[in-house]
Amino acid sequence: MILATLLTYNTIVVAAAVGAVGLAAGMVGALAVLRRRALAGDAAAHGTLAGVALAFLATGRRELPWLLLGGLATALVTLAALVFIRRWTRTRDDAATALVLGVSFGVGVALVTGITARGLPDSAGLEQFLLGHTAAVTATDAALLAACAVGAAALVVLGLKEATLVAFDDAFAAAAGWPVAVIDLALVGLVAVMVVVGLPAAGAVLVTALLVIPPVAARQWTERVPSLVTLSAVIGAGAALAGVVVSGLVPRLATGPVVVLACAAVCAVSVLAAPERGWLARRRRARWADAAWRESRILAALAAERPVAGDAADNALLRRLIATGLAEPATAGFRLTVAGRERAVEQARRRAAWEAILVVAPDDARAFLTMEVPDPATVIDPARHAEITRLSRTTP
Amino acid sequence: MTDSAGSGDAAAGPVVEFHDVTVAYSGRPVLWNVDLVITGPAVFGIVGPNGAGKSTLLKAALGLVPLAGGSIRFDGAPLAAVRHLVGYVPQRETVDWGFPVSVMDVVLMGTYGRVGWFRRPGHREREWSAECLRRVGLADLAGRQIGRLSGGQQQRVFLARALAQRARIYLLDEPMAGVDAGSQEMIFGVLDGLRAEGRLIIVVHHDLRSAASWFDGVALIDMRLVAAGPTASVLTPKNLRRTYAGQPTVLEELSRAVATGGRTP
Repeated sequence: MILATLLTYNTIVVAAAVGAVGLAAGMVGALAVLRRRALAGDAAAHGTLAGVALAFLATGRRELPWLLLGGLATALVTLAALVFIRRWTRTRDDAATALVLGVSFGVGVALVTGITARGLPDSAGLEQFLLGHTAAVTATDAALLAACAVGAAALVVLGLKEATLVAFDDAFAAAAGWPVAVIDLALVGLVAVMVVVGLPAAGAVLVTALLVIPPVAARQWTERVPSLVTLSAVIGAGAALAGVVVSGLVPRLATGPVVVLACAAVCAVSVLAAPERGWLARRRRARWADAAWRESRILAALAAERPVAGDAADNALLRRLIATGLAEPATAGFRLTVAGRERAVEQARRRAAWEAILVVAPDDARAFLTMEVPDPATVIDPARHAEITRLSRTTP
Repeated sequence: MTDSAGSGDAAAGPVVEFHDVTVAYSGRPVLWNVDLVITGPAVFGIVGPNGAGKSTLLKAALGLVPLAGGSIRFDGAPLAAVRHLVGYVPQRETVDWGFPVSVMDVVLMGTYGRVGWFRRPGHREREWSAECLRRVGLADLAGRQIGRLSGGQQQRVFLARALAQRARIYLLDEPMAGVDAGSQEMIFGVLDGLRAEGRLIIVVHHDLRSAASWFDGVALIDMRLVAAGPTASVLTPKNLRRTYAGQPTVLEELSRAVATGGRTP
């Protein structure tokens, strides 16, 4: 029975289309977040509802292409209002966005509830645009959604270089002659298109999540724009597919919340477990740093034949030094083995080397020194290291 | 091709002319009737107190802020005709250094103007960008995310990006702000090299002591142009008083520094 619901032709086509929408939303969303247009996208998304309702009133039918076109129109009006308020009134960005978002959404909800309350023929499904509901999408509508999504994704790939340049440094881009306003307009236009084609999948309230959460999750795993966009696309597609499948299995469950929860789950895992920026990795690094610092302190104390007056963590590390043959019990307390003394001397040498580098090349010291105190010769480029050594010889 | 748009021939030095330039923000003048001709090859300083309009002068030259009046010409031509000959180093704080790009990515941005719309930089651009990174001493950091650099290194990345533009005239906005002495020395060294290649480098700069030792020419600006010309003839106690009036302590320190010949120990 479950299999039968999953495998109808219509379901497969809709799932593929919504997956494509998720993919494109992840890509466009990545650029929007890099250019700090996430909130503007949210305002545009909430602005779609009024257009959907107006298009229904104008055509009298619930045909997806017309409803989406209406949604796109009011989304663009909302964005224009946002630009206008920011530029011509002394309203700050966040206040202007909240204002525009609230008003446009208020108008949309008033129209939709007004229409459904009057029981106009065929109006029953309009409120599905609030939270998204893919079960009602036909194969023809799905083809339209997929076409828009593929077009948007292609544009992102085409203009990735230009969008990255403007997002990173718009003053430099403008000085070099790039039409920053045109590139921004294209980006915001793509955002508007994506929130509109994302409506069936996530609804006006939640579609921003489909644009914003995937890049935030992807950012935890990568330090480069192309891989950020790719990963964000994969996460967006996965979350959108999960939304279609789960809401298809559970009767009357809206698609949007499932999509958002799937995105949020990926994001939570990313923030927790990503290898460089994740919480776990950062905690591990902090522990390594702590252990390195304790070890150098203990070695220095033993080398100077001072007692190690430490806490439980110090004692644990001391046990490890004994286990690895760097220290051994002595008549009073502990002492270093031959290997331990060598390690202590090496550490003192490295420390002195870094201090010398701090004098003549503080930038390099800041860029390469870590709490583990590595040998400078192993982390600084050989030619540069030779130059620094020469500098420290000539500097009194 | 390079000088088809300009009136000067390529053999002559690069020139930037400011004619009666006035810039206003919401009805208040920031720059007021500035007339200034800067001829290269040279390393030329734009110096003045905070809020004097130094950065605005560069931004106006690059078309980033509208002129209320006047005109600016590069080698006799308007900016639009010679944009590819003009390189720019913005202030370091204007960008987000947590942005997911590597050092090499940023330097490659300097080649985008030549690469053109929708095409990606290729092998030649990468080679050239690596060469620019070598010139600022950052070859070994090419793959690093830009946030993991010191302030001086970040400034050198910006300089390398400008070098990658292969410009004839360079405009630098406070390249020495928050930069340690070593990086400062290296940046001025690179600028000296550019001058030796026949280019004109215009530097907005706040530190008068190093100005005296590094610049061939200086313009003192405080909303209006106070004085311009060879460094030694411009940085006189009288001109400094006229520029830094109202800041007696700064003034005192500056005249002492200028009197001792500039270079700080």
